[in-house]
Amino acid sequence: MKKNLGTSAPIASAVFMGLGHILFLKQYIKGILFSALEIIVLLNSGIFAKAIHGLISLGEPKPHLPVAQRDNSTFMMLDGLIAVVFLIIFFLIYIWNIVDARKVGKKYDKTGELQTEREFLHDLGEKAFSYVALSPAFVMIAFFVIIPLVYAFLVAFTNYSAPNHIPQKNTVDWVGFETFSEMIKIKHFSQAFARTALWTVEWAFLGTVTCYFGGMFLALALLDKKIKIAGFFRTIFILPYAVPAMISLFIWNILLNGQFGPINRAFRELGIMQWLQSIGILDRDIIPWLSEPTLARIMLIVVNLWLGFPYFMLMITGIMTSMSRDIFEAATIDGASKSQQFRYITFPLLMYQTLPLLIMSFSYNMNNFGGVFFLTNGNPPDTITTQSFAGTTDTLITWMYKLTLDQRLYNKASVVAIIMFLIIAPFAMYQFSRTKSFKEGEL
Amino acid sequence: MKKILTALRYILIYLIFIIIALIVLYPIAFAISGAFNKGKSLASMNILPIPNNPTTENFTRLFTTTNYLSWYKNSLTIACLNSVCTTFIVLITAYVFSRFRFRLKKAALMSFLILNMFPNAIGMVAIYVVLSRLGLSDNFLGLVLVYCAGNIPYNTWLLKGYLDTIPRSIDEAARVDGSGHLSTFFRIILPNTLPMIAFLAVTSFTQPWMDFILPRFILRSDKNKTLAVGLFEMINGRSNDNFTMFAAGALLIAVPFVILFVINQKYLVKIMSTGAVKE
Repeated sequence: MKKNLGTSAPIASAVFMGLGHILFLKQYIKGILFSALEIIVLLNSGIFAKAIHGLISLGEPKPHLPVAQRDNSTFMMLDGLIAVVFLIIFFLIYIWNIVDARKVGKKYDKTGELQTEREFLHDLGEKAFSYVALSPAFVMIAFFVIIPLVYAFLVAFTNYSAPNHIPQKNTVDWVGFETFSEMIKIKHFSQAFARTALWTVEWAFLGTVTCYFGGMFLALALLDKKIKIAGFFRTIFILPYAVPAMISLFIWNILLNGQFGPINRAFRELGIMQWLQSIGILDRDIIPWLSEPTLARIMLIVVNLWLGFPYFMLMITGIMTSMSRDIFEAATIDGASKSQQFRYITFPLLMYQTLPLLIMSFSYNMNNFGGVFFLTNGNPPDTITTQSFAGTTDTLITWMYKLTLDQRLYNKASVVAIIMFLIIAPFAMYQFSRTKSFKEGEL
Repeated sequence: MKKILTALRYILIYLIFIIIALIVLYPIAFAISGAFNKGKSLASMNILPIPNNPTTENFTRLFTTTNYLSWYKNSLTIACLNSVCTTFIVLITAYVFSRFRFRLKKAALMSFLILNMFPNAIGMVAIYVVLSRLGLSDNFLGLVLVYCAGNIPYNTWLLKGYLDTIPRSIDEAARVDGSGHLSTFFRIILPNTLPMIAFLAVTSFTQPWMDFILPRFILRSDKNKTLAVGLFEMINGRSNDNFTMFAAGALLIAVPFVILFVINQKYLVKIMSTGAVKE
């Protein structure tokens, strides 16, 4: 007898999850699990509806109630977001339930075989281990990485900002692209945008390149067999990597202090300051290391080099020592000079192996909060700063920090976050494509 | 002639080394001498890193006038929790990714790679809202959960790469002998992964000490302040008045870090270069 289960089972499972499995496919346990899921969701549909309604309305202002009992827009938004995520997952399982019923039904139509309950349970046990073991990681990533990213994105389309739209005193509303257009219209904001974004990219690029080549030079020089006490020097050179960066940055901030900093004092003692004044470069006896925009930016790169070269030095040392010696010996026999060896062998090999890390380092530097915040705090300010709060050396991430923590302009901070996202995205895509093409089948 | 040129080249290289060494050492030496300097201000310091009338009064002041010990204790608690939590979750996750086949495995690994590119500071407001909603704001556990979640993607890749180098035949043999998933994991995988586990435990232990944005956001009460936030408030905008005390406080953190790094130097080079080749 032919029953054509390939059509009837998926239709039944589409009407109610698991129905096809129970009625037609005799897969009772699987069917019950599916239908139990749908029953749970249906029983809680009130909660889901309320959460989604909250996400759309973000609460009503209720000025007559005490503050603690008013609608909390931020929580409503979060609850709504979580409900949406749950419903998407539920929907995907629903689709899977139909596809599965179709697959099993078709197989039965063709071969007359059905998976027994025992086989299913065994299969489930095998697979369940993976899913159960992974669930803590996935739940944590969902709650503390993905939902915050989406949430930050959504906040850009609200008016969540001080002083008038901070829950629970007031509610927050959806405003569409108003925050974006407001930030474009205010001249200082758009100027701050352009300046900060450009400087962020410059800072990340220069920071990476200087550290990379500085580290490479020292690594190669220290590997020269004729250099004595290389280990001693190497130990000194990794110190900046060992001292916590925040501490080093504060120390540099102090060393470069205009009035009392030891560097300026040394310059005064040595008469360099007086000489610079006499030829008209300085008008006071202070070199404004961190208080003149261009010089402050240069010092940020220099201090970043001080902090960052040991990382690349260590890495390149490691790569070089694990490289085969043969190729260099062959080159020496063929009469290649040291500089030729470097140009045609060492450098291309190193580039090939470290390019991905350079890209990573670039995106790391772009998001390097401390490197700017602890040294200059984004200062010195200028006319653009008064309205936009972005100092001349602020990068996107420190600007975002200021907008968030100091000014509580959360919606504007989120617009900055979106811009950061757009700048980082190409690098993420690069990373993605590279891994996909190089590691196909290896996962 | 050629010999002289070679000799000159090496003299030049040594000279460069010595200059760089001085530039590297000066800020560190200056801070150390600050910690033992008599007087509070930056102006009371010598230009050369030699303390004036060496004294330990900065340390005494640090312990009596600030909550330094409480900050230290908070940071230590967070660091230990983070180390245990991260190592545990990453170990399990990487084990499953390395040894099991399941739906969406590739997609999950890919999304890890992309998520790793975005700093969790982008979502800082949202993280705060999530933690408040869960009742975990101003709570060490909340902060550790956020760190830990952020650590999973990159470290899973790192550890998965390492686990892939342990031959599958070994654990398959154990499976044939009737060993279950968990006992295979504890008997075969764990002992073979110890160096990498140590690396994970140490890096996740050091991570919270000087992290600033998240503790500043999440731990709002005074009693929960961490070292990074405490030191920041001590020095920010008052670098001239509080410098020597700051230096003393910084020294007490930096010393263990430096010892840890210098001892594990060789090991670090190895891990970093394998990471580079594998990526």
